[in-house]
Amino acid sequence: MKDQIASVQAAALDRIAGITDMRGLEDARVGILGKKGTLTQVQQGMRNVPKEDKPAVGAMLNEARAIITAALDDRKAALQAELDAAAVAGVDFTMPGATLPAGGLHPISIVRDEAVRVLRRMGFTLADGPDIEDEWHCFDALNTPDDHPARNEKDTFYFDSGKLLRTQTSTVQARVMEKQAPPVRIICPGSAFRRDAIDATHLSAFNQIEGLYVDKNVSVGDLKGTLEYFLKALFGSETAVRFRPHFFPFTEPSFEIDVLLQAAGQAPRWIEIAGCGMVNPAVFENIDKATGKTQYSGCTGFAFGIGLERLAMIRWGIRDIRLLIENDVRFLAQFQ
Amino acid sequence: MNVSLNWLASYIDLEGLGTQEMADMLTFAGIEVEGIQERGVKTDLVVVAQVMEKTPVEGSDHLNVCMVDAGEGSLRQIVCGAQNYKVGDKVPCALPGAVLPGGWEIKDGKLRGVESRGMLCSASELGLPDKEHGLWILPADYVIGTPVRQFVGTDTIFELEITPNRPDLLSHWGMARELAGITGRKLKADPASAAMGAVETKPAGDVITLSAPDICPLYTATRISGVKIGPSPEWLADRLVAIGLRPINNVVDITNYCLFELGHPLHAFDAAKLTGGLNIRRAAEGEQFESLMGDTYTLKSDDVVISDASGSALALGGVMGGLNSGVTEQTTDIVLESAWFARSNIRFTSRRLGLGSDSSYRFERGTSPWNVLRAAARATELILECAGGTAEPVLVGGQAPCLVPEENAPNATVVEQGSDAKIYYALDQVQLDWKELDVMTDGSIPHTEATTILKNLGLKNIDGRGTWDCPPWRLDLKRSCDLLEEIVRVYGIDNIPATNTAIYVEESANDRASDYRMALSRKLAGAGFWEAQTFKLIAAESIDPTIASVENALPIKPLMDGDIIRVSLPISEDHSTLRPSLAPGLISVAARNINQGLEVLRFFECGRVFRNTGGGKGKDIETEVLGIFMAGKVGPASWADTKPAGAGFEHIRAVLDILVPKATITLIPAKQARENAAVGADIQINNQACGYFARLSLAKCRALGLPMESYYAELDLRKLQQVATAPYKATDLPQFPGSSRDASLDVPAATRHADIMKAVEAAKQKLLVSTGLKDVFCDPTGEKLAADRKAMTYTFLYRDAKKTLTAAEVDAAHKCVLDTLAAKVKGLSFR
Repeated sequence: MKDQIASVQAAALDRIAGITDMRGLEDARVGILGKKGTLTQVQQGMRNVPKEDKPAVGAMLNEARAIITAALDDRKAALQAELDAAAVAGVDFTMPGATLPAGGLHPISIVRDEAVRVLRRMGFTLADGPDIEDEWHCFDALNTPDDHPARNEKDTFYFDSGKLLRTQTSTVQARVMEKQAPPVRIICPGSAFRRDAIDATHLSAFNQIEGLYVDKNVSVGDLKGTLEYFLKALFGSETAVRFRPHFFPFTEPSFEIDVLLQAAGQAPRWIEIAGCGMVNPAVFENIDKATGKTQYSGCTGFAFGIGLERLAMIRWGIRDIRLLIENDVRFLAQFQ
Repeated sequence: MNVSLNWLASYIDLEGLGTQEMADMLTFAGIEVEGIQERGVKTDLVVVAQVMEKTPVEGSDHLNVCMVDAGEGSLRQIVCGAQNYKVGDKVPCALPGAVLPGGWEIKDGKLRGVESRGMLCSASELGLPDKEHGLWILPADYVIGTPVRQFVGTDTIFELEITPNRPDLLSHWGMARELAGITGRKLKADPASAAMGAVETKPAGDVITLSAPDICPLYTATRISGVKIGPSPEWLADRLVAIGLRPINNVVDITNYCLFELGHPLHAFDAAKLTGGLNIRRAAEGEQFESLMGDTYTLKSDDVVISDASGSALALGGVMGGLNSGVTEQTTDIVLESAWFARSNIRFTSRRLGLGSDSSYRFERGTSPWNVLRAAARATELILECAGGTAEPVLVGGQAPCLVPEENAPNATVVEQGSDAKIYYALDQVQLDWKELDVMTDGSIPHTEATTILKNLGLKNIDGRGTWDCPPWRLDLKRSCDLLEEIVRVYGIDNIPATNTAIYVEESANDRASDYRMALSRKLAGAGFWEAQTFKLIAAESIDPTIASVENALPIKPLMDGDIIRVSLPISEDHSTLRPSLAPGLISVAARNINQGLEVLRFFECGRVFRNTGGGKGKDIETEVLGIFMAGKVGPASWADTKPAGAGFEHIRAVLDILVPKATITLIPAKQARENAAVGADIQINNQACGYFARLSLAKCRALGLPMESYYAELDLRKLQQVATAPYKATDLPQFPGSSRDASLDVPAATRHADIMKAVEAAKQKLLVSTGLKDVFCDPTGEKLAADRKAMTYTFLYRDAKKTLTAAEVDAAHKCVLDTLAAKVKGLSFR
């Protein structure tokens, strides 16, 4: 019996040493240790072993099982290590990846979101107004004279109903103030429409972001501080900003804002980026007259407007504004 | 407007002021400098040269080789392409090293292989107005070798954009006055003051009839007899040429000159062509007017015309003279008009007729009645000086508008002009509140400095307190805020310290809507969709698939004519109608990208759509929606997946599911398919209508050049937001394992997934926690499954929250479900 055990053990260890794959390993485990395995069969001879020899033979059997099991485990670990090494051996890390469907945001959304995030951080909340407006909100309330050129079928889209497509997001100033008492601190991104033929620098429908801050004692200094911070947040903290006096009916004094920008290989240039000014007292009077209240009398405030297409074009050096409405994926893919 | 620095310098001392410095000064005074042109030659290297020989260059039809004498002792060979000169002519010659206007440096070179050592120049190449086509032929007495600089003056022309509130800047005197105001430099003599000192006026009597006093309340006419029409003196012609005008004759040139000097338009009639007195009247509806350019216009009653006793329109008031009443070579007597016209009428006329002039440009922006007599007197003075003749007193008809003293401005300071017939001009009076200035500027502008600024601009303080008389040329100063603007503008915003004020604000509904829209957009971008932003104005219909048109709106209910909102006067049919849906735009985007070879067509857009509720008579409704378009492959092909599948219904459905994962989305098929949409359905989210879904008809796809299934879904963004951002709580994870059973159902092909799910629900099996469709199998050949049947395999998951289920309990529950299925679903058997 002892000899049998020794020879089965030796044969088993030989077999294990010669195993080359996981399947052979599993076959060996079953063939040696399984129900009909070589060692199990020898084990069945135990009942014929004299009683006094049983402890010694039993111990020998257990030892043989332990040795074989350990050999199987070692062999398995070695095989697994070989397999693991082989699994990474042939990988070509220079292969291109499989392709996922690409997607992304439109550049106008990207600049709008960025501007909105900066301004909300500065305590402005979003407000809204319709694209289809009446003359009161678009012109009258904003101190635009009756014979102003914008009030013309050649410059503005009118409807048979007498309504029109707003020519500027400033309409929202009137919309908000007629509903809300001061203080007002709002921004409104949205569409505006002008009857311009579409070319490389003009669209008849475009996007603006409007801002308005009204309270007691709002000053030119506040306008300056707010817009300088806003533009530096958009264009970088080193950006130079200048205010040029200008004219808009709904603000007085009015300014155009330039930022000093440098394109590659060019001298820095002042680029017009926005219009702004202190709210014309006539606007407050118009609102109070319309609401029958006097809540805006004695208020001061500033307003500003910035074109989002222009912002995107300056930011990314886009030469033709039409690219922004064509939605060619070769273009959209550049902004991701 | 073009402003000549030489001309300007005759009214204000500009000594020591550099071009760039001046440009900055104007810019910060609110006058936009659109361009600066340097005129004339500043280098000594452009000299007088004489052409000595001229021979054609071989093989060229226009080049000649010239030997020129530039006073260097030997002849210089230059190739020249101009045709207007001959041997012996003297012309300007730019020698190598000369830098011409525009920064162009002349170098030795070769043209057609022929050596050329310099350039013969035209006037425009030297930054001068071109007097002839080709080389500038110089007078024969010019000495060879002399720098041309010695014969031609230099000038700088500023191209300025004047804002509509400042018509007083539309002249050289006006600009000089502004520069004096903002710099404190001294103005020279007012060019109209001498003439105004001597002017005589007489009431017009019946010589001038003001039949439309609301449009033209003040009209003056000055008769000058015995004038000699001829070319203008050189100084005058040069000034006009410098700002881009073409000299015509002395009288016409003087009216133009006065317009650009003082800012007030004038018109000269040939007295011989007038019959009787002048009548300034509204045009008759449909009256014909022939302009001095020879074009005929049909007038309306808001137009004003100058007519005479014959009744015919001699001039379109404030806009343009007529064909047969103007000054010609034969004219000996003239009648000079200087008048005031209401700006809105002139604007209306000019815009309606598409007929603009330097006169209408000024009248429609506003002219000062104060300038009417000044311009008449100044022009008369110049005409007598340049064209001779004798002038009669100025006939004055009417009065300055709204400015007769006492009635309209009891406390106003009144300026009085003229002798026998007086014109009264009341100055605007403004109360300035210093407190307002202190609030606006945080007290940063000293009041003494502000006072100086206003005084320099011509305002006068009349009571030592806040009452200011505004100068008669400043039509824009009416209110306190107008004066504040002047103070801030001239003081300079740079000198006002920036401050930062912020207030705490509540988040608004619009803030949340914007946040949701961005989160949704990023989610879709991450899912492989491109965000498009398409035009809100689309075509009613178009055969070009890349043009968005209403017919592609794919609505569930037909769009009625009045639902669609169309602008009255579109620029083009392609952009005539407000989009009722984002589908047309996204379809056009797909069509454009297919043309570029794109195979994965996944686009979305968030934006407004427009409908009228009452067939054009109801309210215009603007709705924020999300549009999703999907066609083509599910992903781009690559070596790892050489043949990606085409997008199908299940893929667009998967996208809908990720939008609102916690909600139930149901598609309710439309009763009738619409044109262009083979299949249409209403989209319900949690049983509420929220949008619509469509699969494009194959005919439409073919028209788009899109040989694959194409899907579109449009969802109301606010409703979507409401569902997606509804509050919720987290749930605990199950503590006991569940157990699943599969069942393969053999059903008629027409059986819908919803029919199965309805039956499963009817089983009301409490242990059943989820049902998933695992596989669908059809066999059109009928080999493995009858062709009119399909096999649907479902996985049912059973679980009890409080204990681990035994196999027997799971089997019992599963049997209950299967029995219900067998009972409720027609023609079902188990495989």
